[in-house]
Amino acid sequence: MQALRTAATGMSAQQLNVEVISNNIANMNTVGFKRQRAEFQDLLYQTVELAGAQSSDQGTVVPTGVQIGGGVKAGSTYRITTQGIVTPTDNRYDLAIEGRGFFQVLTPSGETAYTRAGNLSVNDQGQLVTDDGYQIQPAITIPQDAVDVSISKAGQVQVVKADAAAPEVAGTIELATFVNEAGLEAVGDNLFMESGASGPATTGTPGSVGFGQILQGYVEASNVDAVSEITALIVAQRAYEMNSKVISTADEMLQAANQVKA
Amino acid sequence: MDNTMYVALSRQMTLRRELDVIANNISNSDTTGFKVETAMVRTDESDRAKMVDGPKSLKFVIDDGVLRDFSQGALNKTGGTFDLAIEGQGFFKIQTGAGERFTRDGRFTLGADGRLTTQGGDPVLGESGEIVVDPEQGAVTIAADGVVSQNGEQIGKIGVFAFDDLSSLSKDGDNLLRNTSNIQPQVSTAARVRQGMLESSNVNSIDQITRMIEVSRAYESLARTIEGSSELSRRSVERLGRVA
Repeated sequence: MQALRTAATGMSAQQLNVEVISNNIANMNTVGFKRQRAEFQDLLYQTVELAGAQSSDQGTVVPTGVQIGGGVKAGSTYRITTQGIVTPTDNRYDLAIEGRGFFQVLTPSGETAYTRAGNLSVNDQGQLVTDDGYQIQPAITIPQDAVDVSISKAGQVQVVKADAAAPEVAGTIELATFVNEAGLEAVGDNLFMESGASGPATTGTPGSVGFGQILQGYVEASNVDAVSEITALIVAQRAYEMNSKVISTADEMLQAANQVKA
Repeated sequence: MDNTMYVALSRQMTLRRELDVIANNISNSDTTGFKVETAMVRTDESDRAKMVDGPKSLKFVIDDGVLRDFSQGALNKTGGTFDLAIEGQGFFKIQTGAGERFTRDGRFTLGADGRLTTQGGDPVLGESGEIVVDPEQGAVTIAADGVVSQNGEQIGKIGVFAFDDLSSLSKDGDNLLRNTSNIQPQVSTAARVRQGMLESSNVNSIDQITRMIEVSRAYESLARTIEGSSELSRRSVERLGRVA
């Protein structure tokens, strides 16, 4: 019976769905995390009888030939890039982006990665780095004798030195935007890489047209909404159950056929 | 006597197919743009199920077709730039390697060359061919009438193609539909394109589970009918064979 195999594809699709949802829930408190969604596609159809000359109404319900579908497959997992809630931390190197854009990070392999996780710090040479010690691009060095650092909404890093009255500009943080943010390739550690689907990065100063603003002393929380994830989990679980119900029904029907006494 | 069995068997065969269709609906209850289907049966008019002296109206049952419900699925907000949903009747047109295909699944993305494509990499055809986005030009907005603009300039128009007769569409898998007739679809002006939304499947799970129970019970009762009929013939052979 085709129904058995069809329902099995449904169960494995829902299993993937649960895996994606559990990753979202696991990253509920990950700074700058963007939640994902599993997307599905129907499988090939077996045409038993071609669509023939059948009368049809002009409504939305139409008769066609007999086509038996083979179930479902996972199409893609999809990133939803809405803004996460900006939460205050009072840490001077915690930066949140409000609006579009990514920080540019120089990875050890020399490539540029992109991140929304702005929980930065300063390394032993005074450079602004991410949690993993990767340098922010363009590189910004905070002088050793700086007593205070303020970062404006436009990304300008100003330092106040003990012996100077006026603040000094140490550099400007630039943001990168993409035409299709959902197409970025996630490589873990809150980092994304440019891909064919995302298009090349466009860099610019924060606050200019098309770029978000930088907020000092805040981080962007993950955009995972616990309630909607739990709801999605319940839906996935019930859908899984329904598919297993189809299997047991198909089994019952086969059993009924087997029990017929000749 | 055998007629009972054969007629019951013909119904059991169609019930199995009905279950296959229900299984496909349930497994696709989370598939973007999926349209629910119902198997239809009809009386087999070719006059076969009849004994010489039996009732003349005895007929087999046979698959007639699949009823496809193209009604609107719920729209889910995703916020994706190239997530598009159609509100109203009509389809997106996709250029695949095997020809033009139609879909309600608007999870589009950009190819390396800036073309708007499906997740599978097939280009989306707008009203005047492919839609090419210049990645350097910044954010893309798609209006309800399908106009794609970037930086305030129109760069293309997403076409929503509507068919007068939806029954000529055949499902191809991968959420794609194929036009089996020669009649070309018309560009719909009534349908709206929603950016950042996806149309969910219009499968009603409760409805499907209920139908599945119906199918399962009908199948069992037919199995019992077949058994009863076989029991009847066994007994008649027994009785008639007994010497008085």
